[in-house]
Amino acid sequence: MQPYQERYIANTAEIRSLSDLYRHAGADFDTWFQRQREDRARIARLREENLALLQEQLFPVLDELHSAPEETLRELTDFAAQLMDWKTNLDCGVYVAVHDAMLSLCRFRRDRDGVIRELYLLGMGMYYLRRTVEGVDLRWSGTFYFQNELLFSEAAAYLRYFEELPNEETKGYIIRSLANISLCTRESKRRIAISARTLQILQDEHYRALAPSLPWDAFLRRTHQQMSANRSELSRGSLSAEELATVLDSCYEVFKPEESAANPSIRWLWPYYEMEYSCGYVDQKTTLERLESLISRTPYDQYDVSGLYGNVQLPIYYGRLVAGDEKLRADPLRLRFLEGAYRKMLKALLCCPTQRLDDYFVYLLDLVITDFREMEGGLLYSDVMPLLMQRFTGELYIRSRRAGALLRCFSEAIFDRESAFFDDIPFLCAIADPAQKRAALLDYAEGCGLYHDFGQIKMNLARTQQTRSLFENEFQMYRLHTVSGYDDLRKRPSTERYADIALGHHRWYDGSQGYPEEYVRTDSACRQMTDLTALVSFLIDEYEGDLPALAQRLLADGGRQFSPLVTAWLTDESLLAALEEILRCDGRDWYRSVYESAFGAAPEGECFSTS
Amino acid sequence: MTEEQIRIEALERELLQLRQQLEEAKASNIAKETFLSNMSHDIRTPMNAIIGMTALAKKHIDEKARVADALNKIETAGAHLLELINGVLDMSRINSGRMSLVSERFALSDLLHETMAIVRPQLEQKGHRYTLSTENIAAESFYGDSLRIRQILVNILTNAVKYTPDGGQIDLRVSESMEGELCRLCFVCRDNGVGMSEDFLGRIFEPFERVNSTTNSKIEGTGLGMSIVKKLVEAMHGTIDIVSAPGEGTEVTLVFPLPVEAETVQTEALRGKRLLILEADEALRAAYRQYLDGQPLDYQLVSSAAEAFAALADADIAGQEVHALLIGRARQDSGSLFDIARYLSRSFPALRLLLVSDDNWAEIEYRAERCGVRGFLPLPFFRKSLLKGLNSLFADGEETAGAAAADLEGMRILLVEDNFINREIAREILSSAHAAVDEAEDGLQALDRFLSAEPGTYDVILMDIQMPVMDGYTAAGRIRASGRSDSKSVAIYAMTANTFAEDIARARSAGMDGHLAKPIDINILLQTLRQLRR
Repeated sequence: MQPYQERYIANTAEIRSLSDLYRHAGADFDTWFQRQREDRARIARLREENLALLQEQLFPVLDELHSAPEETLRELTDFAAQLMDWKTNLDCGVYVAVHDAMLSLCRFRRDRDGVIRELYLLGMGMYYLRRTVEGVDLRWSGTFYFQNELLFSEAAAYLRYFEELPNEETKGYIIRSLANISLCTRESKRRIAISARTLQILQDEHYRALAPSLPWDAFLRRTHQQMSANRSELSRGSLSAEELATVLDSCYEVFKPEESAANPSIRWLWPYYEMEYSCGYVDQKTTLERLESLISRTPYDQYDVSGLYGNVQLPIYYGRLVAGDEKLRADPLRLRFLEGAYRKMLKALLCCPTQRLDDYFVYLLDLVITDFREMEGGLLYSDVMPLLMQRFTGELYIRSRRAGALLRCFSEAIFDRESAFFDDIPFLCAIADPAQKRAALLDYAEGCGLYHDFGQIKMNLARTQQTRSLFENEFQMYRLHTVSGYDDLRKRPSTERYADIALGHHRWYDGSQGYPEEYVRTDSACRQMTDLTALVSFLIDEYEGDLPALAQRLLADGGRQFSPLVTAWLTDESLLAALEEILRCDGRDWYRSVYESAFGAAPEGECFSTS
Repeated sequence: MTEEQIRIEALERELLQLRQQLEEAKASNIAKETFLSNMSHDIRTPMNAIIGMTALAKKHIDEKARVADALNKIETAGAHLLELINGVLDMSRINSGRMSLVSERFALSDLLHETMAIVRPQLEQKGHRYTLSTENIAAESFYGDSLRIRQILVNILTNAVKYTPDGGQIDLRVSESMEGELCRLCFVCRDNGVGMSEDFLGRIFEPFERVNSTTNSKIEGTGLGMSIVKKLVEAMHGTIDIVSAPGEGTEVTLVFPLPVEAETVQTEALRGKRLLILEADEALRAAYRQYLDGQPLDYQLVSSAAEAFAALADADIAGQEVHALLIGRARQDSGSLFDIARYLSRSFPALRLLLVSDDNWAEIEYRAERCGVRGFLPLPFFRKSLLKGLNSLFADGEETAGAAAADLEGMRILLVEDNFINREIAREILSSAHAAVDEAEDGLQALDRFLSAEPGTYDVILMDIQMPVMDGYTAAGRIRASGRSDSKSVAIYAMTANTFAEDIARARSAGMDGHLAKPIDINILLQTLRQLRR
């Protein structure tokens, strides 16, 4: 590899390490805080250096790839591979950029083997990149799935020339591309059809004979795994008999040997139980008892894959089962168990050692954020999410708290002069007592700050932004943090009032620019607070020590990017002084809460038995 | 017969004549009174809404949601009022015999595409299923007043949409038959809506008649549409027949006898070309086969992105080149057509992409261009329109529909308009598209400005017609006659709400290049200017 490539990898790994809040375990708060500040400064320097490495060294090479020597191409491939081993996913975006360029080169050279290989590799890169928007509604994320599918589809189209193509490695890419099309669709019947076709080919002796050097059995097992991922469809009644049989076959192939083992892993055991339940072999009661037993017997501090599966994934499944059944929702014992399981899950997540924060852990975190169920009298989404933000997206948490403080200050000034300003917001309008209304508004304003960028919590891209600027394709995904946050917040009673803020704070006041288009200002009852949040978010990003000058810019933009009703307040000198004080403060208190979350006592959480 | 008797008889005849004239005058008066009564009611209703909602908005000026709601209602009432006034003006022109029809060449595919582009949003809003089918289409270009035919079709289809409960079925069938030199162009619109009674059918062409029932009492309309339709159809020597029964839907058959333009389409540019056609709709696949079989090109129909890739792989292995991809409707599992276009234009830059769609091109143009689409073929297409669309794709160096400029930067426009608000609106639109705008408040000022500027200063003059001091016709005529080097080349467009054929003809004879209807439609204005820029 070239020195710049090694340097970029080292810098990126160091940034990843520096951004870990557990880094200075054992230090008292003051020391920890000081080191955090040093780390932030170091991250900023490394980020600058990374940008220079890309702009001055990598991009010129990619621009002139057609004339690059073979050695350079090999180095690039190695560099990309280092950036994205499938576990740590150090920098998926650069991996994609490199293979995108390599694909163009292969097309230019009419190197068919190269094109097929690069389509597969780029497809895999896009798959990992696209997982950033995994939980986002297809209305918004569908295009990324489809772009990913097109790459695999183009490579898979060469299957009809399997015999004619001489290179066995190319044949392997073709088959895996075909199988991976199933990763790009959320439509179960289509997924099953694609996996079934792949299994058919993988078991066909004719194909095997044409490429004997390929690891056919490994391909077969992996495809069975992909097919078995459709097991949740078994109970939905939407599959034909043939499809059911195909999925069941794969489930047996994958899970039966594990179930029969002397000490079966929970990770394989539960899918087997789930399959039995989905097919009606065992009843709901038995299934719930099995699930409770698996959750209960996993210690909260077991941080291997099985442990995380038992402590995080299974409580989420349990919550789904309970929330989806009217009788179970009214069963106090089941609710009590769920509450205990959730608490234990939270404890396991918050106490997870740094070295376990890999791609699987990120997936689990996504699962919790997307699928946590609020039950009456139980843990609320608004109890859990701030803790996860503190622990896993500390920088985002601190920025959001800063936004909350600014919003509180701003709202207070507005309320004291124009108490009806926020009366479009129904819950505030309904409060008659001015003091109560004021208190409720200030709480709400803080919450709006805390949750306005909530969608970013699920996005690895927030982590990428610490390393370098985002590429265009990444930024398209990043924009979805607005709709993603909106979707997650609006589904839970404890956070639904913040949903519009998350959706609309990047949209311009006049609707001419910004995103997403789905936010229509005049349709939102919370538009005044959203306007205010947009302005505060801008202040945080643009403040460079002179708020009055910044305020002049904002005033000039009133009616376009920002609401003139809000910018008009920026002529108030006392308000500006109060806002500037918050902008200047080093956020010590907010860092303290992050510190306590990282090193404080583990939260309570043990499971209850229902039997 | 005595002289006396002859005089008495003459007087009696005169008296009878006078009585008849009196009766006619009375009937005419009654008709006018009824008309005025209906009109005043129909005008008063939206006016009441406008006045009431304005008052309500003023009263609640601080409640933004209520103000927004009131403004929406004012906008609706205003649009309704405009429609009513347009209808009355049409009626007035027709009744006084001052309506003239133009006879211009038009393409059937364009007529149908534009008609459906207007009606489709209404169809979709009410969740109606709809089909557009054609049979025996041999002639594709005609001479006639396509704007009026479109007006008639839109009216009939809009009625079908309005008077069919949500989720209904509306079908438009188009056919042709020759009758001597003329082609009988036939449109049959069938719906499964509320239908009409025999009694109402007898009065349907009377002004201000509307179907009244409990299920459609909230349906908006001026009640002038069918009356205008009838008169327009008759003016074109056509026929209109309506078959309907309550609860059984309605079928309207329109026939227009029109002269045909005999045209031939060259296919040399298509010789040896290999096309891939992404189309999942069976009827359209059949149309492609019908129109392309026998042409000097190869084509392959595919129904999904995966099948398109398979075809491209075939070509790759065989060492062949695929020259163009026509992107129509793909199977549902194939994702967005724009995504497919973007991917293919990037991966196969030599592949020319032609979008085949019933969308309004102006609405999708920007997005389509960004995805690498190089041409647009509106649906429905017929043999000649398809071949012409393909020709334009392969006519190198010739710009296609998809090659519009991004904005109007560098364009200098003289805006001539006496009304301050209209001037402000036009200025805002043009400036936002980065055009440089100079202004004049009447024709004389415009003439002075043009003559005192350096030749070539202005690319376009947007000219109001009715202005004090000097009207737009005179000003345009004097500019053209000024003898300056740019007096003939500068584009002059009339901006007027007056869209009658004779006035448009007058504008042309005054040397204007075209006209833009008021109220100003931003899209049409910008589109026209972009085309001029090209």
